[in-house]
Amino acid sequence: MDDETQTLRTRDFWGALALMALSVFFLWRTMDIPLWGGNRAGVSSAAWYNSAAIVPLGIFLALFVLSIALLVISVRAGGAQQALSAVGIGWDADEALRFTTIGIILFFYVAGLVPRVDFVLCSGLLITALTFGFHGGHRGRMVLSACALALCGGYAFARHLPQAEWAAHDDDWLTLVVWVILTGYMLFIGRGDRVLRAVPVIAVVAPVLLVCAMAFGFRQNVPNRGGLVFKQIEYHYYVTLRPLWRS
Amino acid sequence: MEFLLTQLSGFGGAFLALVVDPLTYIYLVVSVFLGITFGALPGLTATLAVTILTGFFGNKIPLDYSLIALLGAYVGAIYGGSYPSILLNIPGTAASAATAMDGYPLAKAGRGGEALGLTTTASFIGTLIGTLALLVFVWLLLLLSKNIASPEKALLALFGILLSGTLMSEDLVIKGWISGLIGLAMAMVGLDPLLSEPRYTFGWSYMLSGFQVVPVLMGAFAVPQIIEGMRHMELGQMVQLKGRILPNMAAIRRYLPTIARSGVIGTGVGALPGVGEDVAGWVSYGVGKTVSREGDKFGKGSLEGLLSSETANNACIGGALIPLLVLGIPGSPPAAALMGAFKINNIIPGPTIDPAIILRVVAIMVLASVTMFIMGLFTARIFMKILRIPQVVFLPIVMVLTTIGSFSVGGGINDLYLMLGVGFVAYFMNLMKYPIAPLVIGVILGGLFDETFRRSLLISGGDLSVFGSRPVAAVLLALNLALILSQVPTVKRAFGKLRGRFA
Repeated sequence: MDDETQTLRTRDFWGALALMALSVFFLWRTMDIPLWGGNRAGVSSAAWYNSAAIVPLGIFLALFVLSIALLVISVRAGGAQQALSAVGIGWDADEALRFTTIGIILFFYVAGLVPRVDFVLCSGLLITALTFGFHGGHRGRMVLSACALALCGGYAFARHLPQAEWAAHDDDWLTLVVWVILTGYMLFIGRGDRVLRAVPVIAVVAPVLLVCAMAFGFRQNVPNRGGLVFKQIEYHYYVTLRPLWRS
Repeated sequence: MEFLLTQLSGFGGAFLALVVDPLTYIYLVVSVFLGITFGALPGLTATLAVTILTGFFGNKIPLDYSLIALLGAYVGAIYGGSYPSILLNIPGTAASAATAMDGYPLAKAGRGGEALGLTTTASFIGTLIGTLALLVFVWLLLLLSKNIASPEKALLALFGILLSGTLMSEDLVIKGWISGLIGLAMAMVGLDPLLSEPRYTFGWSYMLSGFQVVPVLMGAFAVPQIIEGMRHMELGQMVQLKGRILPNMAAIRRYLPTIARSGVIGTGVGALPGVGEDVAGWVSYGVGKTVSREGDKFGKGSLEGLLSSETANNACIGGALIPLLVLGIPGSPPAAALMGAFKINNIIPGPTIDPAIILRVVAIMVLASVTMFIMGLFTARIFMKILRIPQVVFLPIVMVLTTIGSFSVGGGINDLYLMLGVGFVAYFMNLMKYPIAPLVIGVILGGLFDETFRRSLLISGGDLSVFGSRPVAAVLLALNLALILSQVPTVKRAFGKLRGRFA
């Protein structure tokens, strides 16, 4: 058995255990759904074969059986012996850092920034952070990019958690400042790099085009319509530009 | 004969309606261009192209036009994968992996222009073969499918998930099945379709309507691609292109039987539920290598090898649309994304589908293949320039596109959380070699399976023999059982012994 397959079997060991735990949990939750003609508000519900629990029960039982089969395969292949060793599960510190930083960036972008901060600003910051952080594979840049997103996303999340506060603009300003600083630092560091020099243009043009196409072309809802930049775009579209062709 | 004439006249009407509409060309040119770009860029896939465009066009423009955009991107992306395969020896999409086997040696030998010209022509002919099959077989199957009731539908949905899990697994087959089961489990969330009983909602009102298809598609296909692709990669040296990109008609004439065979194989593989263009390309390449007199030259720059894979992967598109339109079961991962577009437009593919939609799909496929052929011959050098863009530049834009697309379909932030959650899970599943296509097909078919399975039992009063007493159901049940038993070790060993005894 080659090293890659050995690593896979070790991961399968943990994967099988996680799947078993999940299937047992959901089997337990399925018990909440009436199976044997339960009684709701004095009305007897359907027989077992028409119960809403019958298909999920089958699915999670099958999942449980398959996870046992996977566990057996992985144990037979020596997956259990290697399960607690970093080498066994194929742990790679560089890869772990890469994934963690991307995970932080995406999490704070989606959970913290998109609902609360202007879409152009947060997407511009995302494009700058991802390209700067991962072009060239420098560990320090990855961490810096993740910190930039975590700072803005974390601030927006902590300061304006409830939906009623999403229209506030202090987080928009913070994002703008961090974006400008990150862009300046990137341009300073990557003076001779053609890719990095192009990033500021892409980071501005791409979100503006997308959000305008979605909002005015397809007339769809876009995240955070009251954001710092989009509010201005929308105002000038309806007040300054649109009358030009409407009249 | 009369049947064929009726079909052709129906197709003629739909084709004429498309041709005289100027908007058709705008959507077609833009979407085929985008599709080829997505296919050509290593790290972006045909499924991702159709998924992102579903988020963008799905329910924002009339379905007639969104179908042009989605099918145009689908056809373009499957073809576009051949560019990096030939010029960089890196398949742009999984579908064109077999193309690299002979395309790259040809390019290194100074025949890159000829190879690109041939793949363009082969993709064009392959798409037309698949489309012709779609036009003919979809109607025959639609007539047959009128007799398909709940038991058959439930077994067919299960067969689609099992088959996709079996054929798409790189590692163990049970991983494909587990992936399909996770998809089915995700489809159980929300109010159940018969009794409106809430399931696994954990008191969250958003969960009552279940998981939306588009965020799941975006999460399953786009997010892992972004996480995986955000790394520094040195693209290999691109082979200098020599010669003009023109179809080599002498080679096309010479290898016409190969093209026809590959077209039929591609369509057939595509028609299998859940099996994509990559399998079609490899199967056709393998068959070509076995039956060809030049089989020993495959992998060393054989034109026949190149035509075998490239014709089949494009023919697969038409094939993949057959089960989608007839039964509502996607024939490939991009077809699953297309199914998402149908769903958000409240169109239910299956025996009750409006025939006009089928004829329009066929007409769009023909026009998309012509557009792809013209673009392939005249704008290839633009795509070769696009190939030089590093992944770390375009993947962040894909993330922004995915976010706004996912948000605008459902109109809620919760859809974004769902997308991200599914994306992280799908990334880890990829890491452990679980195929993602069965999961998505499970999510899409889960509702159908649940409803038809329980309806069958309701009609029969809980008698399980309903799944074996009807002829079509019995065949499908046998297929499902055979598929499961074929992976059981004791059955495998018994068959091995039997084979040894008869050999």
